Amino acid sequence: MGLADELLEDAHFLADKGIADRRPSQMRRSISTAYYAVFHLFVGDFVQHWEFPDQRARLGRMFSHGLMRTGFAPRDKKNPTPLEKELIDVIASFEQLQSYRHRADYDTGWNLVETDVRDSITLADNVFDKWRKIRGEDIARHHLLSMFGAKWE
Amino acid sequence: MYLPSAVTKQEEIDAAIQHVEKSLGSDVVRIRYEIAQDWSGEWAIFFRVVLTDDAARHRLRDIATKVRWGLADELDFPGMGVLAYHNFRSVSEQAALQEPAWA
Repeated sequence: MGLADELLEDAHFLADKGIADRRPSQMRRSISTAYYAVFHLFVGDFVQHWEFPDQRARLGRMFSHGLMRTGFAPRDKKNPTPLEKELIDVIASFEQLQSYRHRADYDTGWNLVETDVRDSITLADNVFDKWRKIRGEDIARHHLLSMFGAKWE
Repeated sequence: MYLPSAVTKQEEIDAAIQHVEKSLGSDVVRIRYEIAQDWSGEWAIFFRVVLTDDAARHRLRDIATKVRWGLADELDFPGMGVLAYHNFRSVSEQAALQEPAWA
């Protein structure tokens, strides 16, 4: 099992425990961990195609959270293809998770509730499911390159 | 100071919200929103969605997906110059917290 999957398991564990114990610190950690599970899912997919295994960790550290939030426009805005819809959903879930994670890690005034935690876990599960279905597709591979910082041509 | 065009489209946003509320039936109690900058300084529209306790506990994935897609189908967020974020809360959770922004 890779780091991303382990983190997703940890996020589930922390969510269940934090909710059961009504412990906000664990609920916050579950949200943050769910985000990092997804972050490492993308980074792991990207760097595994780099030829030199000893350089993959360095390459992965070049990913920047802000740059990873890159937009995507379907060819026909009003009528995206099923594949484009899957990618849009992955992107929207990732953006939402970033927002959750930022609040969980830094906003001590946030009155987070069980539903925030469950939604974060659901979003992370959704990204894992959908990304693994589409990651071999052209638009997904191009999107991953955009998350790394490359511009669409 | 730059403001996204979303700030001038409140009627359109209100209409979209009403439509989504109606289409999802009683699971969605109400949707509120505000336009503000997010953690990175990007303009965003933050939707606050109150769900019934039953929906929040047993159908969150399904309802949250429908709310997100429903609003995205109605509103052109990139065209409005905003990202969209959606937060959910159950009636009981809001009753305990009594946050005016969610009322």
